[in-house]
Amino acid sequence: MVDLQLLFSSVVFGFSLGSIYFLLSIGLSLCFGLMRIISLDQLLYYSIGAYFAYSVGVLVDNFWLGVACGMAIGGLAGLAVERLVFLRIYERDITFSMITSFGILIGGIGVIKLFWGVVPRPVPVPIETQVSILDTEISVYRLVVIAIAGLVYVGILLFLNRTIIGKAIRAGIEDVEHVEGLGINVYRLFSITFIMAGALSALAGALHAPLIMVDPQMGLEVLAFAFMIVIIGGLGSIKGTLVSSLLVGQIVSIGSLIYAPLALMAPFAAMIVILLYRPTGLYGSPLLKR
Amino acid sequence: MSDAGDILTVSGLSVAYGASRALFDIDMRVRRGEVVGCVGRNGAGKTTLLKSIAGFLKPSSGSIECDGKSLLGLPAYAIAGMGLKYVPQDKRVFSDLTVRENLELGSYASRDYDWTPVISYFPKLKSLMDRKAGYLSGGERQMLMIGRAILGRPSLMLVDEPTEGLAPSIVLQLKEVFRELSKTTTLVIVEQNLPLVCAIADRVYALNEGRIMAELRERADVTPESCERYL
Repeated sequence: MVDLQLLFSSVVFGFSLGSIYFLLSIGLSLCFGLMRIISLDQLLYYSIGAYFAYSVGVLVDNFWLGVACGMAIGGLAGLAVERLVFLRIYERDITFSMITSFGILIGGIGVIKLFWGVVPRPVPVPIETQVSILDTEISVYRLVVIAIAGLVYVGILLFLNRTIIGKAIRAGIEDVEHVEGLGINVYRLFSITFIMAGALSALAGALHAPLIMVDPQMGLEVLAFAFMIVIIGGLGSIKGTLVSSLLVGQIVSIGSLIYAPLALMAPFAAMIVILLYRPTGLYGSPLLKR
Repeated sequence: MSDAGDILTVSGLSVAYGASRALFDIDMRVRRGEVVGCVGRNGAGKTTLLKSIAGFLKPSSGSIECDGKSLLGLPAYAIAGMGLKYVPQDKRVFSDLTVRENLELGSYASRDYDWTPVISYFPKLKSLMDRKAGYLSGGERQMLMIGRAILGRPSLMLVDEPTEGLAPSIVLQLKEVFRELSKTTTLVIVEQNLPLVCAIADRVYALNEGRIMAELRERADVTPESCERYL
């Protein structure tokens, strides 16, 4: 019999983990939806966010300033990679972007090792307070992570639904050629999307840093989960990414409560079952080739 | 060689999809204010011709000029920004966006926020503003696509099979719209509906297997029967 307090605690853990997965996967999903590229370099920005949260935290003793710096650097790095690399390969086959971005990720990990070394570093939890909910001690920081992800989701929805650039991005996810045919510079949309994606991936890494040790391989460690979430949710779907992130977060958390190896196996089993019934993912639609 | 009255000049245009050539040495001229029809059977190269002009396909040789400026190498959005709008044949509107949002994108691209001409051509769109475009009928989608394209008052519109699969009543409405549009805009219309294209076109190019088989220059020659001879 599972202890109810432990179960509740695991659910909160699952939501916080799912929230971080959401922030990490949203960039991957948007990049595929709009540009039809697999941008594995997002995992590098995730690591960059974590390392800036660590370093700025050490330097000025302000974790949140580190989060902001990480997001800024992640967004700028995303823009630089888009301008210098992806701009030249948009027209190529999708596997080309996957291999190229994986190369950027591996190269980036090397740079991280150069600057920060290979030893994992601990990041202090910025909010150590615990609150008691249903007689269960819950970390306030985890609740803050969930709230931030919720705010980001609402912000992205407002941006995509209320601004003309957002509407153009939504249209581009359906058919980028027709957006271009209207006279809209789609390459500018691509750059904006990359900045957003890079900043959000970095935010994911920065928020995750106090919950794990930052280490150069941390991007590679979440690679499979990020992929899985984007596929389960449906490529290019924001809502799908949120739902699948939270789902995977819960499966990992509850799975580990029931039987530890399930934490790694169960999400993949869930993905296979979902794809059998919905080959385009939970909220995916048959996407058109660029 | 183009002259002052030409808005579009295509010379020696060849286009290939990989090893397969789709257009062979096409020469075409469109004078300002004209309605030019392009007719041909499926696979004749009509859509390839329009897509090449609009910047979606890279020609293997030849030249394309609009108002004396070369369009070769320009991205499609820049060509559209020059006032040369392409209305594709697949009636693929942005289905997740409402009619209003679809028009807003047209306005954003062209910096033209006056929707009066769109509503006057297609009054039905007014009552559909808040409907997701994915729920529109084929005719309504075509209205939306043409409406979106006329924002910014383009100097040249390339319209690809606008009546394909539409009800006769909608086809009649579109015919009147094209007649009205032709008073302010130069039109190149690709069509398989010969009676329609012959009713509105000043000149017609007949394409077959990627080549121009004939140019019907005189208005009196532009009849479905004469077009049929070259297809």
